[in-house]
Amino acid sequence: MRLQAKFNLGIIIIFTILAIVIAVVTIIYVDNNTIREAENRVRIYMRAAWEIHNGKVRPIRASAEILAQNQRIRDLLNDPADKALSKAVSEKLEAIRQEQEMDILNVLAPDGTVLLRTRYPYNKGDNLAADPFVQQVLATKQSSVGNAILSLERLDIEGPGLTERTIASSGDPRGMLVGAAVPVIQDGRLIGMIQMGSLLNGSIDEVDRIRDAVFENEYYQGKPVGTATIFMDDLRISTNVQDNQGRRAVGTRVSREVAEHVLERGLSWTGRAFVVDTWYLSQYDPIKDPDGNIIGMLYVGELEQKYLDLRTQVVAVYLSVIVVGMVLAFLTFFFITRSVLNPVRKLSEATKRLSSGDFGYRVPVRNKDEVGDLSASFNHMAEQLEAQRGQIEQDQQELEALNRELKATNRNYMEMLGFVSHELKNPLASSMMSLYTVKDGYLGEINPAQEKSLESVAQSLEYFQEMILNYLDLSRLEKGELEIKETNISLGPDLISPVLAGFAGALQEKKMRVENHIPDSTVLCADSDLLRIVYDNLISNAIKYGRDGGTIMLDAFENRNMVTLSVRNDGQGISPEMMPKLFKKFSRLDSPEYAGKKGTGLGLYTCKEIVEKHGGEIWANSKLGEWVMFSFTIPKSNKEF
Amino acid sequence: MSEKKNILVIDDDVQLVDTVKTLLEAVGYQVSFAYQSEKGFELAKQTKPDLILLDIMFAGPPGPDGVELSRRLHEDPDLKDTPVIIVSGVKQALDMPIKLGPDETYMPVKAFLEKPFKPDQLLTQIEKILGPRA
Repeated sequence: MRLQAKFNLGIIIIFTILAIVIAVVTIIYVDNNTIREAENRVRIYMRAAWEIHNGKVRPIRASAEILAQNQRIRDLLNDPADKALSKAVSEKLEAIRQEQEMDILNVLAPDGTVLLRTRYPYNKGDNLAADPFVQQVLATKQSSVGNAILSLERLDIEGPGLTERTIASSGDPRGMLVGAAVPVIQDGRLIGMIQMGSLLNGSIDEVDRIRDAVFENEYYQGKPVGTATIFMDDLRISTNVQDNQGRRAVGTRVSREVAEHVLERGLSWTGRAFVVDTWYLSQYDPIKDPDGNIIGMLYVGELEQKYLDLRTQVVAVYLSVIVVGMVLAFLTFFFITRSVLNPVRKLSEATKRLSSGDFGYRVPVRNKDEVGDLSASFNHMAEQLEAQRGQIEQDQQELEALNRELKATNRNYMEMLGFVSHELKNPLASSMMSLYTVKDGYLGEINPAQEKSLESVAQSLEYFQEMILNYLDLSRLEKGELEIKETNISLGPDLISPVLAGFAGALQEKKMRVENHIPDSTVLCADSDLLRIVYDNLISNAIKYGRDGGTIMLDAFENRNMVTLSVRNDGQGISPEMMPKLFKKFSRLDSPEYAGKKGTGLGLYTCKEIVEKHGGEIWANSKLGEWVMFSFTIPKSNKEF
Repeated sequence: MSEKKNILVIDDDVQLVDTVKTLLEAVGYQVSFAYQSEKGFELAKQTKPDLILLDIMFAGPPGPDGVELSRRLHEDPDLKDTPVIIVSGVKQALDMPIKLGPDETYMPVKAFLEKPFKPDQLLTQIEKILGPRA
């Protein structure tokens, strides 16, 4: 991976981790904040709702207290039997009840007995001392206001139509009353009580006032943002929460969890509430009657979706800022690293060119920083290398010229040697023929002294002849004339037989025996003429240096892809000191054992050259005084011809 | 005493021809010779020798080499049964007639002798073909 890519990957990983951490923290923070904020607002809404709820009771109390000061009512209380007065007051109060939209307006005797029931004038004389408002007034002689639940029986007593209304609105025949009972005091003595009240069941006035005042009747995505409900126990009796069909959801009940918390334990409940079909951030407060019994709940709720969307927006804004910031940071980082890495890249490029032999390339040095120093050092190094290479090239050219010269000289020498040898060969052949013709007595008897002298000439001529043949082989080999022409050779019949035939006379002369262990199946891949020179030389040596009457053994062993060939003869052998010299050009075995058997010092060298041209090796083993064996390797037949 | 056998020597080496002639006459053969292959062929047609000693490569004016000449001798009705001994200093050339062997139904070449050779070697080969000399 390139450095730039590594840096980029590193920074992207760091940024990604950072972005994830910041995003999580942001979401948690925004979440907590918006929810807390929402809950605070719901608490405030609840206080406003209570104000409105309590505000409903205030005018009722005021009206009742004004009525309590009314002289005619006092007169009636002082003389309940005055039927005319009773009728007149009843009519007047009924008018007030209707005007004030009260459901009940009763005048009670000091013991709680109903003297006047404006809504249902014919039904009177019952005792309401058990009514929580009345009970409190009797106990304290003070006004009692608030909410209370009226039973089915009580509603029936209060007049026709009320039970029908409660049942119709929420299914429960009981009613929740908001109202007041005030004492009528004369000379410090309780002479009666006035009770007024209005049923909340089915009334929409209060909850809608809460909604409108607090939430300004706002809608969000088709849902009212704010809702308010009055519960009687756990039953919605007055609400602007809507059900699935868009109707007011009166008659439905609150969840068990909320009911338990608020109705049974008397605590406020704040939190998310699933109201009918939507989540609201809600608060439920208990409503108590004057005796302190929990009789219902007041609820306000604000649509949660609004806050969720707000939260999403805030998070989106935060995250966009983070992303934009990170992109900017990354770009800045990218340009900085690039400006740092560019010179490094150029250095790397320059190093590549240098290593591929372009010594002339220089790195531009722009900055005076570490990379700049490195670039300058690099340039210095490249200059020195260039200078050195120039010197080396010059030296090399000189060497090559010298080498060519030497090769030419050697070639000339070899050509001359070859020419001379070749020119000498034929006269020598006829000289030897003539000599032997005389020596062998074909031209007449010769005496022993003459024969000895001729024998000496013959030996010299034979050495001469051997040397010439060797020089011829060698000069052809070194001139490159003898390029390898590899063919598949059936070693025994193609090569060994003719060579041995050529040595038949010499073998007979020394009474030597040849044991040929080379299998007829041995096939080699070699140049036939060159291989023949090798065998000629080795067998000729074996005969020359072998013991009279000894054995010459020829062998061939096949390895994996080479054949090891050997020529062994009985004889003096070769001392270990001589071994290393054997295959050197012009080296001779000048040891006492070989006195009088001069070699040309070329035969084994030629053999070595030929074997190595075939990709093989040649070596010798010996047991001094017993035998010597020359071995060489030649590739097996591996081609089809 | 039977009639002397006639041996024709065809070789461009004057000295060698001289030496061989001296030796062969000394041991009782009649010797004729030619220094060029073409002339040798003419001489063979005239004298109908009992044996021909033939060199392979000839210097001088262009003419058939030893192998070509031995083929021509074989194709000539008068000379096709005349035995030939190839005498050469060129080892590769010595192998050539051998290699031709399997393709030919008959070649007059009876033996090969590598230069340089000794009198014994030459005489042995001649006697193998012509039988013991008188």
